[in-house]
Amino acid sequence: MDTDVAEHFCWAVDESVVNWSCVGALDDVLSVYIGGGTPTILGEGLRAMIDGLRTRAGLDDTIELTVETNPDTTDALAASRLTESGVNRFSLGVQSFDDRVLASLGRRHDGARARRALADLIATESRVSVDLMCGVPGQDCASWLQTLECAIDSGVGHVSVYPLTVEGSTPLAARIAEKPGDAPDSDLAAEMMEIAQEMLEEAGFEHYEIANYARAGEESVHNCGYWTGRPFLGIGPSAASMIPASEFSAWVSRECWDKPGVAGVGRTIEPAPVGAVRVRFRRSADTEDFLRNPVGPPVNVEYATAYQAAAEDAILGLRLTEGIDEDLADAAGASATLGELASRGLVEHEGGRWKISQAGWLIGNEVFGAVWNAAVRRGLA
Amino acid sequence: MSSSEPSHIRNFSIIAHIDHGKSTIADRILELTHTVADRDMVEQVLDSMDIERERGITIKAQAVRVLYTADDGQTYQLNLIDTPGHVDFTYEVSRSLQACEGVLLVVDAAQGVEAQTVANAMMAINAELEVIPVINKIDLPAADPERVRLEIEEGLAIPADNAVLVSGKTGEGVRDALEAVIARIQPPAGDAEAPLKALIFDSYFDLYRGVVALIRVIDGSVRKGLRIRMMATNTVTDVEEVGVRRPANTPVDSLGVGEVGYLITGLKDPALVKVGDTVTLAKQGAAKPLPGYREVKPMVFTGLYPIDGDQYPDLRDALEKLSLNDPALVYEAESSHALGFGYRVGFLGLLHMEVIKERLEREFDLELLATAPSVEYHVYANDGEQVIVHSPQDMPDPGKIERIEEPYLKATVLVPPDYVGAVMELAEGKRGTFKDMQYLSATTVEIHYEIPLSELIMDFFDQLKSRTRGYASLDYEYIGYKASRLVKLDILLAGKPVDALSVIVHRDKAYYRGRAITEKLREIIPRQMFEVPIQAAIGGKILARETVRAKRKDVLAKCYGGDVTRKRKLLERQKAGKKRMKSVGNVEIPQEAFMAILKVDE
Repeated sequence: MDTDVAEHFCWAVDESVVNWSCVGALDDVLSVYIGGGTPTILGEGLRAMIDGLRTRAGLDDTIELTVETNPDTTDALAASRLTESGVNRFSLGVQSFDDRVLASLGRRHDGARARRALADLIATESRVSVDLMCGVPGQDCASWLQTLECAIDSGVGHVSVYPLTVEGSTPLAARIAEKPGDAPDSDLAAEMMEIAQEMLEEAGFEHYEIANYARAGEESVHNCGYWTGRPFLGIGPSAASMIPASEFSAWVSRECWDKPGVAGVGRTIEPAPVGAVRVRFRRSADTEDFLRNPVGPPVNVEYATAYQAAAEDAILGLRLTEGIDEDLADAAGASATLGELASRGLVEHEGGRWKISQAGWLIGNEVFGAVWNAAVRRGLA
Repeated sequence: MSSSEPSHIRNFSIIAHIDHGKSTIADRILELTHTVADRDMVEQVLDSMDIERERGITIKAQAVRVLYTADDGQTYQLNLIDTPGHVDFTYEVSRSLQACEGVLLVVDAAQGVEAQTVANAMMAINAELEVIPVINKIDLPAADPERVRLEIEEGLAIPADNAVLVSGKTGEGVRDALEAVIARIQPPAGDAEAPLKALIFDSYFDLYRGVVALIRVIDGSVRKGLRIRMMATNTVTDVEEVGVRRPANTPVDSLGVGEVGYLITGLKDPALVKVGDTVTLAKQGAAKPLPGYREVKPMVFTGLYPIDGDQYPDLRDALEKLSLNDPALVYEAESSHALGFGYRVGFLGLLHMEVIKERLEREFDLELLATAPSVEYHVYANDGEQVIVHSPQDMPDPGKIERIEEPYLKATVLVPPDYVGAVMELAEGKRGTFKDMQYLSATTVEIHYEIPLSELIMDFFDQLKSRTRGYASLDYEYIGYKASRLVKLDILLAGKPVDALSVIVHRDKAYYRGRAITEKLREIIPRQMFEVPIQAAIGGKILARETVRAKRKDVLAKCYGGDVTRKRKLLERQKAGKKRMKSVGNVEIPQEAFMAILKVDE
């Protein structure tokens, strides 16, 4: 990355952090996740950013601080310097240890590089997670088994398993448009997800969320927040935030972005509507917007009533193996629907909790959709 | 406006193959005669329905009176009767032609003579009308008026040396066409002293005035207050208003011999005012009605079901309203295990069906599912009883059937010689029987086949167009019922027959069709939570089987912070997708499945 751009970016993040901290929004931070693929390309700027954040938010070493990274930008030195700065968890985008699969995905690293990067991260004694991808064109079950074995043998404490999805305007989408045979095979991906579940559980991992496996105590504190309705602040280009409505106008107050020559000046923020308990929003539409004014007026603002928030929490909570408690299901108006899903074997009801079943997890959208639509129907009634 | 002497009246129609420019020429005539103020001029003035304008077709007949000052300095009353161009409306066209003394036969200068040109010209000749050939679109680069002139002379046996060359687009030659109308079409002949005799050639329903009949006075005259009788329906009523259309309704004192206009009686029931009927005096009226009247009979039937069952009463109201303006539209309640409550609706033909379905959806905001169209089968039971079957669902048990008869058509296809083989191959595949073939010109061959209507309402026309690169044109006429070896082919989903997917097919094609349909359905029916077997069967005998495999994976695996909104939208989109499906048992079937069973590749 261009040094100027990197500097500008770090400045923008720092502006945001200052802004949030000055309104008291960073007082009770439980976790930090520095993601977006490869924040390590910021180089030294990343450490400065982390230092600034830790100081302004008053973070101590017990707070989970994850940095996402890729094998081709990770080495022993960079890893140890980040841990010195207070990073205590890494999420490494390995995808596969198979060179052919990595080539098919268009990744810059090969299997050897991935193994070395993973070893380097584990050597720092931080908690480490790897992302693995299945259903990749050209990937077969043998390759997938090897990748899983490699991850397990590395001693990593956390594994995320994602089936390949083809997004709108990516090189892969273009390739599939040309060669439809290269489209990911959904059935094969499903089989691989089941293989992963079996092998990782066998190796002592708990399958604690649809895509996530962890050894005891290695669960991602940060990601669990997303599935349990914990508020979060996103900093960066079009980063999403979700906070209680009661804090919204206080935290995202006008003074914080009302600077001369900046877009949005003079706009006042609408108070949250009556009955709103939760707000989802972004403070920039894209990178350009973020770099121009990192604490701009909120965009894509969505309010949720207590009822809608419960419905959101229900469909997110059902992603977790622990599921949701009956009170949340009731609050979301989903108990009857869950009962019906249970009769079809897609969810289980035990110990006062509703959980997605072994038969249901790979077709979770059926379950989430039924719960969400039940809530929507009741919401309209 | 006063009425004119018959010597200064000309009644004519414009007839043409679809897209040859009939409505554009009508527009130019209205402009040239200042009938429509410039500011009110729109394209296809006479086609008042949105759907007519969008598709460039005429569905309802129209009549408009224009006053034209001819080259001889005299002013003539011209009544232009615009007719539907499509074969579905052949009867309406024939009635409209009976109201005229002549026609402008419009032929596209590039396309030349096509099937409906022939059909329409024959109809005009049989009605003993003066036919004035008009070669239109002479402004086109591909225009070849000389070739078209030859095609008219050789193919239609109509002298075309004095064909009028016209460009509806630029207006060139339109005046020549009107001069030809005056010079060559006979003024109406009739007996002003005889009792009233007027032909109803169309009607429409006005919310405030009731049924408005479009009429042509043959003998006598009609005025407000007169007590009249509709002869076919034997309905006696009083005349509330007579008038002419310019094109808005303009009341006049009376309509005399040869004049064309409208008649309002206050009757509210369209069934009493029938196209083709004769209006006469209630007392001492004409002894005999005008010839040619017949009851309009629907030829094609389909089940229309609201996607949302709650819309069933709305569908009924909508059908009732549309049928007021369209006596050819018939409907009766029907229910299906698969689709719930709906209506079996009868149409004149496929275009009529498409138009009605589109109007129901558009004008009445209904979301409809149409089942595969069917024809009227005559089923003779072993005990001699005859059953009329409009829907595969109503087909009696095969063991009780002695024979089944189905409607046949004489199909006329006009095509360049290179494509004769392709047309014959198609027609034979559709159970057609070759009758004869002749060269209309070096570039056009006319082929006749006898073919079951049920085959024609499948994808015949689409196939014909695609196999001849769009060159072929088609016309057909109904010739009667013939026995065929027909069977009902049932489609079973997850082991249960889905009545709305049943089709009646020829025995020899059942196996093939069963396979094609099951394959097609396998492509269309999305994967469900469980495996869905699709079977085609006759009686209890399974002919073909396919399987939609169970859905193995459907989950948004990556779901963190900003993905939550995406996830919610995904779920809502999935739900919207399901709304367009019909649940039959516990299988979700997309709407297109019900029509797609027609469009299986041969």
